[in-house]
Amino acid sequence: MTRPQDINLHFHQELEGLEQTVLGVVDKAVGMVEMAVESVVTGNVELADEVIAEDGEIDEAYFSVHTNWVHLMARFQPLGSDLRKMSVLLHLNTTFERMGDQCVNIAKITRFNNGLPRVERICDQVQEMGDLVRPMIRTAIEAYLRKDADEARLLPAMDQPVDRLNANMYKETVAVRDNPELLEWATKMLMVSRALERIGDQAVDFAEQTVYLITGERAEFNEMGLDESADAGIG
Amino acid sequence: MSDTRETETASREIDLTNEAQSEAVAAGHDPSPAPIPTEPERPAEVETERPVVISTHDMEVFYGSFRAVEPVNMDFKAREITALIGPSGCGKSTVLRCFNRMNDLIATARVNGEVRYHGENIYDPSVDPVEIRRRVGMVFQKPNPFPKSIYENVAWGAKINGAASGKAEMDELVQNALENAALWDEVKDKLGESGYSLSGGQQQRLCIARAIATSPDVVLMDEPASALDPIATLRIEELMLELKKSYSIIIVTHNMQQAARVSDKTAFFNVKLDEDGMRTGRLVEYTDTDQLFTSPSEEETEDYITGRFG
Repeated sequence: MTRPQDINLHFHQELEGLEQTVLGVVDKAVGMVEMAVESVVTGNVELADEVIAEDGEIDEAYFSVHTNWVHLMARFQPLGSDLRKMSVLLHLNTTFERMGDQCVNIAKITRFNNGLPRVERICDQVQEMGDLVRPMIRTAIEAYLRKDADEARLLPAMDQPVDRLNANMYKETVAVRDNPELLEWATKMLMVSRALERIGDQAVDFAEQTVYLITGERAEFNEMGLDESADAGIG
Repeated sequence: MSDTRETETASREIDLTNEAQSEAVAAGHDPSPAPIPTEPERPAEVETERPVVISTHDMEVFYGSFRAVEPVNMDFKAREITALIGPSGCGKSTVLRCFNRMNDLIATARVNGEVRYHGENIYDPSVDPVEIRRRVGMVFQKPNPFPKSIYENVAWGAKINGAASGKAEMDELVQNALENAALWDEVKDKLGESGYSLSGGQQQRLCIARAIATSPDVVLMDEPASALDPIATLRIEELMLELKKSYSIIIVTHNMQQAARVSDKTAFFNVKLDEDGMRTGRLVEYTDTDQLFTSPSEEETEDYITGRFG
């Protein structure tokens, strides 16, 4: 059977435009994660400033998407998979905006930590976390674009090492407690770790939304308890 | 969260149902006529499974030798609103008209299978269609009051059925019906005026009052708001949500948002064109309204509600 003619073409074109704007932020977010991690690991304050400036663009896109979203709902009152997509896009818009905010948090720590002594092992771990969360975001968007629920379901497993590293960061921080300057630096790095852990969770959230969009069923991916132990460690 | 809300809604519903019933009883007007099996009293907090009021069993409709509607199997429960949606020619109005034997009035129409009202096949030769139409009321697309006074419009059916003895009783019955149709306050000072003197929306509520004055427990509505402006439409929709505390309502509507707003369950019918250009209607999907409009199971439903058709 051939697909019936689309007599709701105008709405579907607008919906596609909205989707592209929302997803357009993902590439920017991935780039910001990379820059933010590099800035904090290498102590590059100029790079941190760039991250903060880029977040302004994400915020602009966020407000523009939100405005268009409300207009589309008021004008078309979509149903079925169109309604699910609208719901998912509203959620993702917030998710990506928050990813940007987490990058800004990291960038601000780069500024704060400028000139303080550092521990290479902690830097390596933060770098590793950054290298783990970026592919998570990429996998989540690939799953979305391919409408591949199985690929989306890979995300919780990808999140496990991130949670593990985040939990370990607490021990690393405690280990430098005798050196006040190092402790100050490490405490801030603990916040960086927490920000990256949150970005990982946001990628998992993205994948949950993808599964809902495809199947119509709410998916709450099991965090396997690792997330909880990490939370218990650093609050 | 949603569970709590549902429970709240349910208990509110029951409270009001009891209130409406006791009001009706106080007025000497029992809303459920004796032959209809009454339900046991329900505790206020617990929503029990609602009984099936109308069910269809391989019901199909023919016009002459042509089958207009393929076999339909559906249950309609007490105090629920069911919406029948679908493109023109999908058979939804034909199906609706089967539920009170309105298709009898079309010479070539024939209904196969069964339509059961409280378990009884209404197409059984022993069943009086007039009695069925008293218990299963109907409201049409175009408001069609009788060319009589507002009072007479409502009293007419009750008078024929001998539902009230004496003027005082009839006055109460008319007032009750007009109150339940949310029209009383607007017409109480001009009951003697012609039904035609009312606005379109008021005329439609008058027709609803007329339909419920004969104490039905099902009200069929065929596009009841499509000739009305948005305000009058919302009034009708609000009224339906009030009425469902006492009645089952089955509504045919072209307006999907209206179906989404008022109904508990929705049935999607689609039309099939054969090589001779003849249209056959078919029930595609029948499920909870929330489900049907967010995640329908059938691709045909999905196509229709997202505007893909043809």
